[in-house]
Amino acid sequence: MKVSRSYKTFTVVNVVVLLVIVFVTLYPFINIIAQSFSSESFIRSGVVNLFPRGFNVDTYRLILADDTFWINYRNTVTYTVVGTAISMVLTTTFAYALAKKRLKGRGFFIGIAVFTMFFNGGLIPNYVLISSMGLTNTIWAIVLPNALNIFNLLIMKSFFENMPDELEEAASIDGLNTYGILWRIVLPLSKAVLATMILFYAVANWNSWFQAFLYLDKQELYPVTMYLRNMIAGATTGSAAGAVADADSTQIASNIKSVTMVLTVLPILLIYPFVQKYFVSGVMLGSVKQ
Amino acid sequence: MKPPALRVAAALMLFGLTGALLTACDGRPSEDAELNLDDKMVGAMEEYGVGDAFTATEALEFTTMFSDSPTYPYDSDWAFYQKLQEMTNVSLDTTVIPASDYAQKRSLLISSGNSPLIIPKTYPGEENPFISSGAILPISDYVEYMPNYEEKLEKWELDEEVDALRQENGKYYVLPGLHEELWPDYSIAVRTDIYEENGIALPETWDEFADSLEQLKTIYPDVTPYSDRFKGNSVLNFGAGTFGTYGGWGYGDGLTYNADSDDFAYTAASDEYKTMVEYFHDLVERGLMDPESFTQDDDSAIQKFVTGDSFAIGANSQTIVSNRATMTETLGADNFSIAKIQVPKGPAGDVIGGSRLENGLMLSSAAAKSENFVALLQFIDWLYYSDEGQEFAKWGIEGETFTKAADGTRTLATDVTFNGLNPAGTQDLRNVYGFSGGNFAYGGTTDLLRSTMLPEEVEWQIAMESREQAKVEPAIPYSEIEREQVTLLSTPLKDYVDQNTLRFILGQRDLSEYDTFISELEGKGATTYVDLANATYSK
Amino acid sequence: MSAILTREASVAKEDPPRTPPRKRATGWRFMLRRDWQLYSLLVLPILFLLIFRYLPMIGNVIAFRKFQPGGNIFGEYWVGLDYFKLFINDPTFWSVFQNTITLGALTLLFSFPMPIIFALLLNELRFTKLKKFVQSASYLPHFLSVVIIAGMTLQLVSLNGTINQIITRIGGDPISFMQSAEWFRTIYVASDVWQTMGWGAILYLAALTTIDETLYEAARIDGANRWQQTLHVTLPGIAPMIVTLLILNIGTFMAVGFEKILLLYNPLIYTTADVISTYLYRIGLQSSNFSYATAIGIFESVIGLTLILSANFISRRIVGTSLW
Repeated sequence: MKVSRSYKTFTVVNVVVLLVIVFVTLYPFINIIAQSFSSESFIRSGVVNLFPRGFNVDTYRLILADDTFWINYRNTVTYTVVGTAISMVLTTTFAYALAKKRLKGRGFFIGIAVFTMFFNGGLIPNYVLISSMGLTNTIWAIVLPNALNIFNLLIMKSFFENMPDELEEAASIDGLNTYGILWRIVLPLSKAVLATMILFYAVANWNSWFQAFLYLDKQELYPVTMYLRNMIAGATTGSAAGAVADADSTQIASNIKSVTMVLTVLPILLIYPFVQKYFVSGVMLGSVKQ
Repeated sequence: MKPPALRVAAALMLFGLTGALLTACDGRPSEDAELNLDDKMVGAMEEYGVGDAFTATEALEFTTMFSDSPTYPYDSDWAFYQKLQEMTNVSLDTTVIPASDYAQKRSLLISSGNSPLIIPKTYPGEENPFISSGAILPISDYVEYMPNYEEKLEKWELDEEVDALRQENGKYYVLPGLHEELWPDYSIAVRTDIYEENGIALPETWDEFADSLEQLKTIYPDVTPYSDRFKGNSVLNFGAGTFGTYGGWGYGDGLTYNADSDDFAYTAASDEYKTMVEYFHDLVERGLMDPESFTQDDDSAIQKFVTGDSFAIGANSQTIVSNRATMTETLGADNFSIAKIQVPKGPAGDVIGGSRLENGLMLSSAAAKSENFVALLQFIDWLYYSDEGQEFAKWGIEGETFTKAADGTRTLATDVTFNGLNPAGTQDLRNVYGFSGGNFAYGGTTDLLRSTMLPEEVEWQIAMESREQAKVEPAIPYSEIEREQVTLLSTPLKDYVDQNTLRFILGQRDLSEYDTFISELEGKGATTYVDLANATYSK
Repeated sequence: MSAILTREASVAKEDPPRTPPRKRATGWRFMLRRDWQLYSLLVLPILFLLIFRYLPMIGNVIAFRKFQPGGNIFGEYWVGLDYFKLFINDPTFWSVFQNTITLGALTLLFSFPMPIIFALLLNELRFTKLKKFVQSASYLPHFLSVVIIAGMTLQLVSLNGTINQIITRIGGDPISFMQSAEWFRTIYVASDVWQTMGWGAILYLAALTTIDETLYEAARIDGANRWQQTLHVTLPGIAPMIVTLLILNIGTFMAVGFEKILLLYNPLIYTTADVISTYLYRIGLQSSNFSYATAIGIFESVIGLTLILSANFISRRIVGTSLW
């Protein structure tokens, strides 16, 4: 394939630009990681850059040694898995049905979905609803209220709408009913959007703490975000809480935020590479015989 | 009927029903206090007075909120709870709330009708939103059942301060933590070694402070000697008291009471406030105070101080210990020394602002309906206001966690440590045993308060004793509607004051424009605001 | 194979041409019978919406009633439009409203195109390993908690932070960024772009995978160079996604980041930094006035809904794609 001169230049420029972007986005990250492993005096002096100075894992040790941390971490995983599963089922079925132009009342249903993007009852009615259903201090208070994200719904619907009709027509001629078409034809071809949605929901669930804050009173049910958020609050407002200010707690105060962040982000970073392979071109190739 | 209409109709009916049902329910208790509590004496002691140890006559359980601080996370196995139950026959059913979001969740629980009976960690003033609905108990009606509380009110002459909490109906709704004496904490920490090295005396007044900074600047021209934290709100707070006004964290509603004319004026329009602004402007202009003190985050300010890039920073008794520990690493233990200076004296003389009331507790109105109501009152009275109860909450069990000498000095047991005292100990008094926690231990006699302070802090407290407390302002009994109006007026006013205070101090706005600023305030509603306050007050 | 665009035309194919146009052919019973499976898929989601979204919405009634914290959750008595009048007459409200709009619009203007451009640039990369690496690195800022971002931003723009160091090195005077209202918008938008560019690109990259390779081949055979291919194949290919996201973002643009601003602002820059949510927060700190907050919330919601409806309508008319 002949590649023009200008295209070569473009490629070079492109690579440079992208590398700059990478640097700009990665630098703070690496900085945070470095801080999380550094000792306090270097952090306070502002000299920690790309590498840890005064290698110190006290804060990590403190957190990782705490049983509550692991219990909460396990909770986060549970909430994320269950929540994402429920969300995916609701969103996918809804999006698929709404993507069918022939569905009567389609506009109405889309309307009532979109309406909820803007209007909600507010803190207290939601709280009263959940507590009167007896769901406080259960996993359901965490995974149910935000199970259906309309933003995601509309994006998925858009994807489904743009799938060629011929695929489904071919399948229904072959005798598949709606469920069959959805399950056997549409979903396998929608890996990219499914993967994206799973990623979105999983990350949202992983990072959420507000639902937990509202509806959970017991420490052993907290997700790890609550645990870490409290650690930061406690360490940085040490004076208010009457903190014992010895060498240990100042070390903790200095890098609690960075340690927290690393611990929270790590699993997501590990998941993404698996998800990424679905973003490879050519998923649709050869699926329709013309 | 066509299906879509049917569906809509059914839905509407459902909503309507639910709405009607819930609207019909009126959870409001009656306005008049039930003062005859004969049928609410279950579990209470017949004879209970000052000096009596409270023991419920039957086993009782009370629901309470708990502000969970991560430095001493809630543990249901704490010795505190066990011993409390042993001694008083009362167990506590706690709703644990993370401290960082305590206020919001408390508001949510009360607003949705799910509140526990006891609501601790409530600062005077925080009870205001909940009064009009009747969700909170007008505790002033029932203090006759709380002998220790009343005794302390009288002994320490706190009536005036507590009266300031009274609402439009003359009642007050929060039980404040009571201090025998004012307990100042915030001031400025300086590098005493640098002062000493250069023969500069530690300043006692604001002018001396400015002069000392000037001298330091001459000797170290590359250093801006004073870089503050807390976004400047701390120094404006304790500083304002010495200038005879209010500022920073303590700005509050922005009203200053004038005893001579028995009315209120807007704080920022006063001469005293202007004088304070001029002082700090002067510091910044002379290069003595870091202009970023007002905008930087705490970490940046601390960084400058611990690396020697500044010589003075705002501090309290805890932060100074923390800074010292850090500096031992950054500078080396023998290379520095820091201490809190006395709050510098200002034009108002030997005066400091502050209140002897600190955070306390509210009770849900549901308490008044309980048959254990009197027992609850007695229990609270004993735990929070009796000498024995307070000592218990703070120090724990005599013989186990501490020992008391003949002269009253308390010492932690050998293996117990707390707040830097008895550093050899391994069991933290708060963490492991649950004593001295912020939910149950606050207020009290000066002796008790100081018993857990480091010697350096006690010294500082003693030196500050000579300061007079600024006069307490009387209450303005707003009605509910007025209070709503007041809030909506005071916030923009305060914002404008904050903005311009900084602009004047930093030189972004010339001080000659101060009078223009005052008329701008009037234009923003300051006159309406003050008039409303005075009208309500004189009622 | 035609390009991937909406298929409104396909609906018309459904009616068999010989059946007389009787109502029954498109009546509800017919539709239900034919599409009952599709409707069955709707049951759970609709139920969900009813219970968890619409039921609590009744609570919005407190914008028109007096709500007392601790009293009846639907308020005590009717006050009509009092709370609405309260904020309409509050001059501070309008200035924070303006800030909200300005910040929202600026964010939209800059943060919206960046992920698209980034996705396209990335798409041009032939070195798969580098592509994956760049992509993974790019979305990392999304995961930084807002506390950390605010802290880093403050440090970056402080008087002796990195930016000022660069300025002084090229001979200028240090600028006190966080104390000048004019700079806030730039700082806010810049940090937003930085944080969302990589994450936002994910959707576009996913959309890029759905473009049929044969289209590119056809274009190449026709003699199109890379740039023309981008213009005529790639962009139209992800156009539905762009339009969808644009409409959605327009609808939600008033939801300017509360926590980030709260951590970044200070009284000196209220004039540009204070937005509706932070203003409400300061009022709320003193009063727990849920009725007022709900009234403002309804106001914002109505605006948002109007925006998305308009955007959708305009989009349908001009471009042919729409959300519904």
